[in-house]
Amino acid sequence: MAAHHTEIKARRNRRWIIFSLLPAATLFIVLTAFPVINLLGLSFFHVEWREGAAQFSLVGLDNFTRLFTQEDIFWAGVRNNIIFAVVAVSCQMVLGFSMALAVKTAGSRGRAALTGIFLLPIIVPPIVIGTMWRLIMGREFGLANTVLGLVGLGPVDWLGNPDLALASVIFVDVWHWTPFVFLLMLAGLESLDGEVLEAARIDTSGRWQQIRHVVLPMMMPTIVITLLFRVILSFKVFDEVYLLTSGGPGTATEVVNFSIYRTFFRQDQVGYGAAMSVVTLFSITLVIILARAFVQRRAARRQAAA
Amino acid sequence: MHEVFKRKAQRGAVRALAVALLMSAGAGAASAQDKPTVSMAINQSPWLNSFVAMVDQYEKETGNVVELDVSPFGGLLEKIRNSVRASEGSYDIVNVNSLWLSEIYSGGFLAPLADIKADYKLAEGVLSYGNTTNWDSSALTFSADGALLGVPVNGNVQVLYYNTEIYDRLGLQPPKTWEELAANAKKIQEGGENYGFVPRSARDSIVYNFTPYVFSHDAAFFRISGPNEAEVVINSPEGLKALETYVGIATEAGPPGPGNIAQGELIQLIATGKGGQAIAVIAAWGQLQDPNSSRVVGKINAALLPAGPGGTVASSAGHWVAGIPKNVAPEKQEAALAFLDWFAQKQQQVEYVRAGGVPVRGDITSADLGDDAAFGFIEAYSENAQHAVMGLPFANAAEASDAMALSFNRAVIGELTPTQALNQAAADLAGVLERAGFKVSRLPDL
Repeated sequence: MAAHHTEIKARRNRRWIIFSLLPAATLFIVLTAFPVINLLGLSFFHVEWREGAAQFSLVGLDNFTRLFTQEDIFWAGVRNNIIFAVVAVSCQMVLGFSMALAVKTAGSRGRAALTGIFLLPIIVPPIVIGTMWRLIMGREFGLANTVLGLVGLGPVDWLGNPDLALASVIFVDVWHWTPFVFLLMLAGLESLDGEVLEAARIDTSGRWQQIRHVVLPMMMPTIVITLLFRVILSFKVFDEVYLLTSGGPGTATEVVNFSIYRTFFRQDQVGYGAAMSVVTLFSITLVIILARAFVQRRAARRQAAA
Repeated sequence: MHEVFKRKAQRGAVRALAVALLMSAGAGAASAQDKPTVSMAINQSPWLNSFVAMVDQYEKETGNVVELDVSPFGGLLEKIRNSVRASEGSYDIVNVNSLWLSEIYSGGFLAPLADIKADYKLAEGVLSYGNTTNWDSSALTFSADGALLGVPVNGNVQVLYYNTEIYDRLGLQPPKTWEELAANAKKIQEGGENYGFVPRSARDSIVYNFTPYVFSHDAAFFRISGPNEAEVVINSPEGLKALETYVGIATEAGPPGPGNIAQGELIQLIATGKGGQAIAVIAAWGQLQDPNSSRVVGKINAALLPAGPGGTVASSAGHWVAGIPKNVAPEKQEAALAFLDWFAQKQQQVEYVRAGGVPVRGDITSADLGDDAAFGFIEAYSENAQHAVMGLPFANAAEASDAMALSFNRAVIGELTPTQALNQAAADLAGVLERAGFKVSRLPDL
């Protein structure tokens, strides 16, 4: 009898779970899965407008074949995006973590002041950031070259020199997004167990040892999540490139999103643009899945060893 | 700006109400609204205020109302696409940039003006900018034999700007050929204070700016060789000479890093007096003569673009054409055409120039405008407008332009030789034409 009741209860529970999740799941499918499925479907078509109506021609894998065999600009964007992600995110992680540590150890007044200053770039709208840095980095009348000129250096063609342009865009991205990393790191540091930190302060011989052997391992979940966030966001970079260099000179600052934008909107090649989007989407998803699997396996191995 | 137009719309509504009341009282017939209100999608631009002044004048004269929906350049194309592709359009007039004309025309979205008003033709004197007001739907290109699909609303062609102070100091004459332009540029550059020539060579706009070099050298990007047949000819000896000239002037007598100079940087360099000369759109004239944004007011002159070896002159068309979509009511179409026709008449065009606009007629001279330095551009504009060309007159122009732009830009920044750049550009253009349904042939590689 008791077992029967338990079974009924469990069934009701399952139903409750299903019904309570249904609205959220439906919303997820409508807002997320449906556009992706639509995008995937579109990538097998060539779309043309004639006599005021859209003509869809099924082209199978042609768009993908063209992307993998005839396309140059998109793949230059992929290369730049990888460089961008590695360099920009590395800088942001190191700087953001250092800034969070500085704020954590500062006095209350210094803490408020530093937090305010460090967060400034993230509240500036991207359009303002692009315009502002374009003015600063301008070769002829830019502030950066004016300052360099005062000490007898320059002028440097920050955005027009193909060897420097990507580094300049990365610099602006680091300036823009380091506060985001700082904020997450500070939240992570604030949530660490004070007693453990106090014990570490007594047991370790120096500040560096304390950070390396106690703070960093305890912060690892926050660091991994932040890293994941930033890598994903760095592949979505668009506004800075659009406003600073439009992908040039040559393909020096081309990025994936800019290629997709140009193909989809400027050229109105929706099928081919969809193929680019699908390849990008699935590649990033694959990287995230592999990275997560790697981190989980490593954590499991550590736990087993412990 | 939105506030201004909201007020304008409110004013329009109040005016329409007042007109209705007057009509019901049997008075005010001369300025009564006799056509439905029309809405127009238009871009935010330096000449917008002059267009608004003409709309105000039209409303005052006729009692009819034109509402403007103003968008930035980048967003306007999407608004136009969304409207003309819908079953019922949001706009009765769409203002189409020359870059988008082939896409909008070939999509079959616009009503032939002769279908709205029988036998309608552009008024005598109105420019067609390389037949870009007409579209041949069987050959899929601009053609005088095609249907008339639009009325130009702002003429914007390239002119040669030169700094008269620098020219006078060095004893230079406005160049008639590319060789003379290059020689002037070198002399200015050698002075050490100014750049000899400011090229607009950023990737996004290089094809537009390279086009006059191509056509004045009697070359072309491609030629229609038959029904749905095209021959890619950009990699011809004439094309090579054009690119060598372009790269030579850009790199030998201009600012460093020309591969990232867009229109903004170009105007900045000329407006500050740093650049001695440049080829830019006539729409920049106002900015260069505005004391609030220019240090060279009264020192800039405009001239006809240099000719190629055979004496040919070409200027890239960058104008705006207003079209009337098929997916709006016939009475709205008629009202829209009535406004556009009124706007293109000579008297209105003279007023338009006085208000700061660039005319769409070739018969307006300084005699019509009076001896005012502010209108000093008009002769150079009219001359260049007569030589206006559309470099890529087919539906996939944007794709073709982007495909070739990379090669030309890489030639300017030294990553490719002009020969390599042309061969690559020819291959890329052939690919785009094939995808557009053309049977394509192309010249052998250089």
